[in-house]
Amino acid sequence: MPGELTLTVNGAKQVVSAAPDTPLLFVLRNELKLTGPRLGCGMAQCGACAVLLNGKEIRSCVTAVSDAVGKKVTTIEGLPEIWAGQKGLNPADAAATLHPVQQAWIDEQVPQCGYCQSGMMIVAVELLAKNPNPTVAQIKDAFTHKPPSPHLCRCGTYAAIIDAVQRAAKTMKA
Amino acid sequence: MSVKIDTPIDPAAANDSPIPTTLTRRGFVQVGGALFVSLALPAAFSACTKRSPVASGNQLDPALLASWLEIRSDNTILARTGRTETGTGMSSYYAQAIAEELNVRPETISLILGDTDRTPDGGYSAGFIFGMANVRKVAAYTYQALLGLAAAQFGVPVSSLSVVDGVVSGGGKSLSYGHLVQGQHLDLKIPIIGKLAKVDPSEGSGISGLDGFSVTGDPPMKPMSQFKVMGTSFPVPGIPAKVTGKTQWSCDISVPGMLHARMVRPPTLGSTLISVGVLDKRQFPSAEIVGKGNLLAVVSPNEWEAIGAAQAVAASTKWTEWAGLPGSENLTKTLRERKWGAPSESRGNAAEVTAALAGAPKTISVSYEQPYVRHAPIGPFVAVADVRSDGGVTVWTHSSQSQGLRAQIANTLSVPMEKVVVRWLEHSGQYGRTTFGGDGAEGDAVILSRLTGKPVRVQWTLEEDLAWSSVSPGWVADLKAGMDGEGRVVALHTAEYAPHQQDARLLGAILAGMPCSTSKPRTWVTEEWPYDKIPHVLRESHGMPNLAAESAGGGLRGNIMRTPGQRQQVFALEGLINEAAAAAKADPIQFRIEHTSEQRLIDVLNATAKAAGWKSRQSPHSGARRTGTSPVTGRGVCVVFRNNAYWVGIAEVAVTPATGSVRATKFTIGADCGKIINPRQLDRCMKSGVVMGLSEALKEEVTFDKSQVTSKNWNSYKILTMAEVPEIKVVQISRDDKGFGGGSEAANAVVPQAVAAAIFDATGLQPRRMPMRAEYMTALLKEAAGG
Repeated sequence: MPGELTLTVNGAKQVVSAAPDTPLLFVLRNELKLTGPRLGCGMAQCGACAVLLNGKEIRSCVTAVSDAVGKKVTTIEGLPEIWAGQKGLNPADAAATLHPVQQAWIDEQVPQCGYCQSGMMIVAVELLAKNPNPTVAQIKDAFTHKPPSPHLCRCGTYAAIIDAVQRAAKTMKA
Repeated sequence: MSVKIDTPIDPAAANDSPIPTTLTRRGFVQVGGALFVSLALPAAFSACTKRSPVASGNQLDPALLASWLEIRSDNTILARTGRTETGTGMSSYYAQAIAEELNVRPETISLILGDTDRTPDGGYSAGFIFGMANVRKVAAYTYQALLGLAAAQFGVPVSSLSVVDGVVSGGGKSLSYGHLVQGQHLDLKIPIIGKLAKVDPSEGSGISGLDGFSVTGDPPMKPMSQFKVMGTSFPVPGIPAKVTGKTQWSCDISVPGMLHARMVRPPTLGSTLISVGVLDKRQFPSAEIVGKGNLLAVVSPNEWEAIGAAQAVAASTKWTEWAGLPGSENLTKTLRERKWGAPSESRGNAAEVTAALAGAPKTISVSYEQPYVRHAPIGPFVAVADVRSDGGVTVWTHSSQSQGLRAQIANTLSVPMEKVVVRWLEHSGQYGRTTFGGDGAEGDAVILSRLTGKPVRVQWTLEEDLAWSSVSPGWVADLKAGMDGEGRVVALHTAEYAPHQQDARLLGAILAGMPCSTSKPRTWVTEEWPYDKIPHVLRESHGMPNLAAESAGGGLRGNIMRTPGQRQQVFALEGLINEAAAAAKADPIQFRIEHTSEQRLIDVLNATAKAAGWKSRQSPHSGARRTGTSPVTGRGVCVVFRNNAYWVGIAEVAVTPATGSVRATKFTIGADCGKIINPRQLDRCMKSGVVMGLSEALKEEVTFDKSQVTSKNWNSYKILTMAEVPEIKVVQISRDDKGFGGGSEAANAVVPQAVAAAIFDATGLQPRRMPMRAEYMTALLKEAAGG
């Protein structure tokens, strides 16, 4: 039965009414209108729904909303704020700033259909937080071998993603 | 008042235009003003469509909104086309083409794509070359009209005017386009021919007018050598919104009162409904069961409730049993056992080729095959439909053929076309599966909306999409080459056998037993042919209906997939060419050059070979082997000629004989697609095409048992992952004298045979089947070793 749950999403406290077993993805999309994460497989096999939970990538299609209570949820809509916080930008600058990963995705013209790319950027942010200077092999490993599944792109943008992660790494070190 | 525009149109070409291009001032002047560029239908067509719903339904009345272009007083330009962006970058190319002809910056142009009520022309995404020709001509006509306005205002001849970034100068005066149209309300009528898509049983795909309207006449256009915007890497407009979460996707549409639906599909392709399962209203208080025929769904205002309730209802719903498929492991046998009769398409002279083959000193006969594969987007089909009590229908979709889908829906619901509006939004790629306007969740959505009287959003699951969406059929091909004493191919006979690829029906309509489009069980021979020096060629293609076509679910609905026809036929033909080169002990690139006089192909072969570091020699290489636990390497080549573009792929692979595993280590891809419009986006499309091609070459296969598709998730329908992507090198050749060619398709089709040839180079064994997975390679190696 639906109950009230309090979440912290992209830095803001949100009270939602949802059955506790509802996947976080449906709460983000349908209740909070955060449509960055998207439904792909619904069984943690593709990564289109990936978000950060306390900085760690999770698949929101199989994560119950109740498991996100008390933790920080970040979607691509919240990435600029994370970067602004890390760089100590004032609110005016922060509003005009994208996360370097997002900017690199634009500069390298990564998305084709773009459906998987929200999840791809989430992986990139997580990777670069742990490893600021990843090799191509480490990038491939992060997008392929980390459980629960590879992040899949059917348009085939993998080469562009590798370019963009390397570009973002340079920007973030600068 | 009506002003005849002083356009230097070739009189002969102008005669093709049923209506002269005219500029009309409307009877009122809006604050701001604008130049609207509208459709002018041939008089005969206008008359004959008065009774039909087409004219009013598509708002072809030029007084209404459906215009190609608006130039506004703030110097911005709005362009509209019924064609869509599928992720390959068309939205940047359209803006570039318009900007080039109008002499404006491309970033001043915004686009409305694909909405049937807000765009003029129809057409499909794959028809980009035609679509761009349309918007280019519209811009060229508009440019002449603007020059005419400026000439009148400045009191100087058109020939003394110049335009930079949308500012017209002449006679010592300058005005921006925005100022030129300020305070005026002008309509420029553009001559067009063509028709909108409609369900039409005389067509193979069951739908005609797929290309929509074409702009006629011959307005003066800028020569390629003077291009300033085309040929630059103008950024694809929608990308910033996609990476910040601002894009509104078709899955994001939410309308007041909307219900979420989850479908309850039959357990097999041919099952029919016996009894509907139980919905426990205590557990799912807001959910309802809705159905018609074998179409069954659960709807709820809450998506999660709909999911749970649909699963519960599915568990207790009873269906008939059915087992009418051959099983995917028996596909080749099934195709082989069929009595095919005459080919559905044939090119070449059979008697002449038969005689030439009989007279050749040496012949090579080989057979190639591929199982079913599918489009498999990351986002399953989703659609929202609102079928209202007043008879109006609105559908929100990501179909790449909005007007075709509109025709399909009007046909299924038995309502006039003008009652149906299709709104297009971005979403996961389609890769060709909606080119004929069919497939998709849209059929389910309109039927459920009519049954419930409410707007309904239908979200397919991945399993549903991988089991029930249309597929690219498996095939077999037999090829025979005759070679002369000097190792040249003098005669060639190819014959392909496959279920057809033109089933555009909406699944919902099939299951509900409602009207559907039709299709014909034929296949085709691809038009382009790279080897003009082979004197005697016969190519045949045999078609048949869907496998299990007679089943309640319509069988395995065959549909086109990216680079259709050539994807399959190139794998076989280029395989034969590689095998013939090996028989002639010739270098495979040099062998190709000896069989063509097309200099563009020769140039791109040489350029790609150079980039790949290709050294001339025959295959297999001297160190080839079929045993051992360490990898053995090889290289191979494949070419494609498609849509005025020449493609070369050079694969380098490592084969581990002991395990049969094949790894692509490097891929060099070269293309000459005439004038390159956007080099960076072409680079992206070439590299991503290589990924899709490697995926098909090494991994993909739709499996099915006697009853249903069994490859229903990403563990059983495997596609390439990032770790499997090799180094990819790109070679681009741009030409100013060969027009525009297709730069998105064919990149995938040039990959699989290059991989097969590289495996041959490494092992001396030519794979003749996709996918070249370890189990197939192991069987091939074992067979070569004598079992």
